[in-house]
Amino acid sequence: MTLLLVALALIAASAIIPPLLPRAPAQRTAYLALLIGGCGLTAVAAIDALAAGTVVQRAWTSFVPGGDWVIGIDPLSAIFLIVIAVLGATNGVYGDADMRNDAHARRTTESNAFYAVLVASLVLVVAARNIVLFLAAWEVMAISSFLLVMTYHERAEVRRAGWIYAVATHTATLILMVMFALWSGAARDWSFTSLAAAAGAHAVSVGLLLLLALTGFGLKAGYVPLHFWLPPAHAASPSHVSALMSGIVIEMGIYGLLRVLTLLGAPPAWWAWLVFALGAASALLGVLWALAQRDIKRLLAYSSVEHIGIIVLAIGLGALGQAYHHPALAVLGYAAAVLHTVNHALFKSLLFMTAGTVYARTHTRNIEELGGLARRMPWTFLLFAIGAVAVIGVPPLNGFVSEWLVFLGLFDGARAMSDVRLVIFAAPVLALAGGLALACFANVTGIVFLGSPRSERTGRATEVGSSSLVPQAALALCCAAIGVAPALVAGVIAHAGAFLAGDPRWASASAAAPIGTLRGLTVFSIGLIAAVAVLAVARFALGRRHALRRGPTWACGYDAPTPRMQYTSSSFAAPLVTVFGALSGVRTHRGATVFHSEPRDIVLDDVLTRVWGRIQAAALRLRPIQQGRLHVYLVYVAAALLSGLTYFIIAR
Amino acid sequence: MTGPGSALAGLVVLAIVAPAVLGVAGRTKAFLTRRRGAPVLQLYIDLAKAMRRGIVLSNTTTLVFRAAPIVVLAALLMAATVVPLDGRSALIGFPGDVVAFAYALGLGRLLLVLAALDTGSSFEGMGASREVTVAAFVELGLFLAFGTLAVLTKQLSLSGMLGAPLAASWRAASPAIVMTAVSLFALMLAECARAPVDDPATHLELTMIHEVMVLDHSGPDLALMHYASALELSLVGALIVDLIVPRAHVPLGGSLAILAAGLVAVGIAVGAVEASVARMRMPKIPLYLAGASSLGLFSLVLVLWSGA
Repeated sequence: MTLLLVALALIAASAIIPPLLPRAPAQRTAYLALLIGGCGLTAVAAIDALAAGTVVQRAWTSFVPGGDWVIGIDPLSAIFLIVIAVLGATNGVYGDADMRNDAHARRTTESNAFYAVLVASLVLVVAARNIVLFLAAWEVMAISSFLLVMTYHERAEVRRAGWIYAVATHTATLILMVMFALWSGAARDWSFTSLAAAAGAHAVSVGLLLLLALTGFGLKAGYVPLHFWLPPAHAASPSHVSALMSGIVIEMGIYGLLRVLTLLGAPPAWWAWLVFALGAASALLGVLWALAQRDIKRLLAYSSVEHIGIIVLAIGLGALGQAYHHPALAVLGYAAAVLHTVNHALFKSLLFMTAGTVYARTHTRNIEELGGLARRMPWTFLLFAIGAVAVIGVPPLNGFVSEWLVFLGLFDGARAMSDVRLVIFAAPVLALAGGLALACFANVTGIVFLGSPRSERTGRATEVGSSSLVPQAALALCCAAIGVAPALVAGVIAHAGAFLAGDPRWASASAAAPIGTLRGLTVFSIGLIAAVAVLAVARFALGRRHALRRGPTWACGYDAPTPRMQYTSSSFAAPLVTVFGALSGVRTHRGATVFHSEPRDIVLDDVLTRVWGRIQAAALRLRPIQQGRLHVYLVYVAAALLSGLTYFIIAR
Repeated sequence: MTGPGSALAGLVVLAIVAPAVLGVAGRTKAFLTRRRGAPVLQLYIDLAKAMRRGIVLSNTTTLVFRAAPIVVLAALLMAATVVPLDGRSALIGFPGDVVAFAYALGLGRLLLVLAALDTGSSFEGMGASREVTVAAFVELGLFLAFGTLAVLTKQLSLSGMLGAPLAASWRAASPAIVMTAVSLFALMLAECARAPVDDPATHLELTMIHEVMVLDHSGPDLALMHYASALELSLVGALIVDLIVPRAHVPLGGSLAILAAGLVAVGIAVGAVEASVARMRMPKIPLYLAGASSLGLFSLVLVLWSGA
C-alpha cells in the first residue's frame, strides 16, 4: 500500500516538476523518468497484492467532510492497476515523442502535465474505497481528459467534440452522485465497506441503484446508445490521448459497474438480462458503424463500442450466473469480462498509436486518401497488423482468447443450465459481429497499408523513429503473449472471476474448471503457429527455387491502371452496409451527376442534435420576455408579488 | 483403434480425397448437363503442374501476398485437427474447440482477403468485399448449427458434438439434426464459393468471388490456394458426413471408408446443385444465407424447447 502511495506521488510529480525545469531536454528526461517510475511502481504494488491474494485497505482521518479516506487493492483493482501502469507508461513515451514532432514546446509541456494528472487520477479511481475520494478522483479524471481532448482547441470540430464529451461525462458524474446519495442514506458512513453492509438493508431498491449505475457508468463506458460522445472525442484528441481514453478511461465505466456489483451482491435476474442484451446490441451495432467510417480514428472508436459491448455481455453472463445461482457461469462470465477488458486495452491502445503514426506521417485520417504504406512504413504495418488480428479476434492473438471465453460461457450456459439457456442466441449475434469485425479491419488494413498510395503525400510517407515504435512493440508483445499462451493468465482471471462472483474460494474449485480449458486453447494456438512455420519452411527453404518474375497487377487486360482505380474503402464496405440499411447510419445523396455518401451517428446526429435543436427553438420563443429594460422587469417583479399575495390570501 | 493415430488417419484421408471431391462435383455437373467434363482426378494433375511452374509477382505486392497461401492452408489444417474425422475423436479436441474451428477459418479468410487487397486491383478488391460479406452471414449460420449441437449433445467440443453423444440423440432429435445438416450444406456452398452463391466455372472477373481473389497468384502459390479451397469444402463436408452418419462404434477402416464415400456423396450433391441452379444476383445472396440460417434457427428452437 505504501508502494502505491509512492507511485502516485511520482506520477503526480511528473505533472508538476517538468514545467519548473528550464530546458526542454531536462524537462523531457524528468517527465519520462518520473512517469515510467511511477507506472512501474504501480504495477509492482498491484502484482504484489495479486500474488499475496489478499485484500488490503488503509484509512486516513480526513480534514474535509465526508468521513475517512480509504484506499485499497483487491484482485479487481489490481488487474486494472496493471493495465493502467502498462498503458500509462507506453502511451506516455509515445505521446511525448508524438507531441514534440508536431507541436509547440509549451503545448507539449501542458499536454504532458494533464496526461500525468489523468494517469494519477486513474490509479486513484481504482484504489479509492470511499465515496468522496472516488468521486473526486472520477471528476479529476473527467476534467484532465477533457483538457487533453481540447489540446488542439483552435479547431472548431475539436471544441465541439470537447463540449459533447464534457456534457456526457458530467451527466455521468451527476447520475453517480444521485446513486451514491440514495445508497449512503442507509449506510453507517461513506466508505465502500459500509455501503456493502447497507446493500441489503436500505429503503431504496437494489434495482434502482443498479439502473443508476448502469446509466452513470455506461455513459463513461460508451455502450449503445450512450456511446455518442466517443467517436468525436477520439477523433479530436492527440493519438496517445485517444489510445489512453479508448484503452482504459472508458473501461473505468466497466470498473465502476463491476465495483458496484461486488458491493451490492447478486443482482436481480431482469437486470442481468438487460445488461446481457445491451452488450449484445452494442457489440453488433458498434462494429456495423465502425465498418462505415472513413476517419481511421472514428473507426477505432466505434470498434471500442463493439468491444465494450462484448465486455458488457460477459458481465451480463456473470450476473446471470449469480442471479440463477450457477457459480461456474458467474466465474466464467466475470473472468471473460476482466480478460477482455485487459485485452481490449492492449490492442486498442496499440491500434490508436499506429493510427497516430500514420496521421503524423501523412497528415490525414481519411482512409480513402491512404494506401501502400506497408512498403513505406513496414514496422508500423507489422504493428497495425498485429493489432488488427487481435481486434478481429482470430487466433493466435489475445482478442481471440477472451472472445473464446465468452463463447464458452454462452455454450456452457445453454447446454447445462436450463433457466439461462436462452443465452445461446447471443452466440450467432457475436459470430456475426466477429464476421463484421473481420470485414472492417480487413478493409482498413488493406486500404491503408496495401495496394498503391491514393494521394501524393501518402506516397512520400516514411517510417517513424524508435521512441514511437518501441512502446507499440511492447503492447504488441503483450498481445502475442496472452494470445499464444493463454494458460499463463488462467490463474489470475479465475481469481478475479471468483472474487467478482462473490466467493474467492471458487477460484480453485470446480466452478473455475471451464477457465482451465485455456490449456487446450494454448495447444491450439501454438499448433497454429507451428503449422505456419512448418509450411513456410517446407515451401521456401526445402522447395525448389522457382523462376520469379515481376510485373504489373493483372487488370483483366487493361494495361494503364492508376491508383485511383483501386477499390475504395466505402465500396468495400458497401455490400454489408446495404444489407443493414438505415441501421448502418450511412446517408447517401443521389443526383443526376453526383453520388455522395457519408457515415452519420444515429444517436448523436439524428436524435440528440435534433432534440437539442427543438429545446433551443423553444427557448428562443421565450426570448421576447427578456427585454433588457428596467421597467419591464419591475412589472415582472410586481406581477410575481401580486400573484404570490393572491395565492396566500386564497390559500387561507 | 482410437486416439491420435486414428484421428491422424482421418486427416490423411481428408487431405488426399479433397481434390477428388471437386472432381466428382465437376463430373456430376457435366453428366447432368449432358457433357463429358474433365476427369475426376484432373485437379491433382493441375496442382502438380502449378507446383512446377515459375511465379509472376505483382509490383505492388508485399510479403502479405506470399504469406497468404501458407497461412490459409495452415489455418485449415489446424481447423481440421479439432474435427473428429474418424468419427470418434479429434486430434486435439478440447471444450470450446468449435469456436476455435470457426475462428481459425476466419484467420485464413483474413489473409486471403488481405492478399487480394495487396495487389491493388479493383477486381480483387471487389471479390474481397464480397467474400467478407458472405462470410459474415455464414458465421451467423454456423454458430446456430453449433448451438443446436451443443444443446442437443450437452457437449462443448466437436469430438463430443459429432461423436458418440450425437449417435445417442439421433433417435430423439432426428428432425433437428437433419435440418442442421441441410443448413450446413447450404452454408458450405456459400463458404466454399460454389453455386448458387459463386460460380467456379465463370470466366467473367466481375461476377467472381473466390476465383477473382487468386487472379494474381501463380505457380506454387496458386497451387496452395486451389488445394486449400478444395480442402475447405471437404472439411465442412466432413462435418456434414459426421452429422448424418455417426459412426463411433464402426471399426476404423470402415469409418474412414464411410468418410471417403460420404465426401464423394457431398461432391455429387454439390455438382447436382450446380447443374440445376444458376448463380444468384449479388444482392440476393444475403437472402439465401438468411434462409440457410433460419433452418439452423428452427432446429435450435426445436432442441431448446423439446429437451428441457
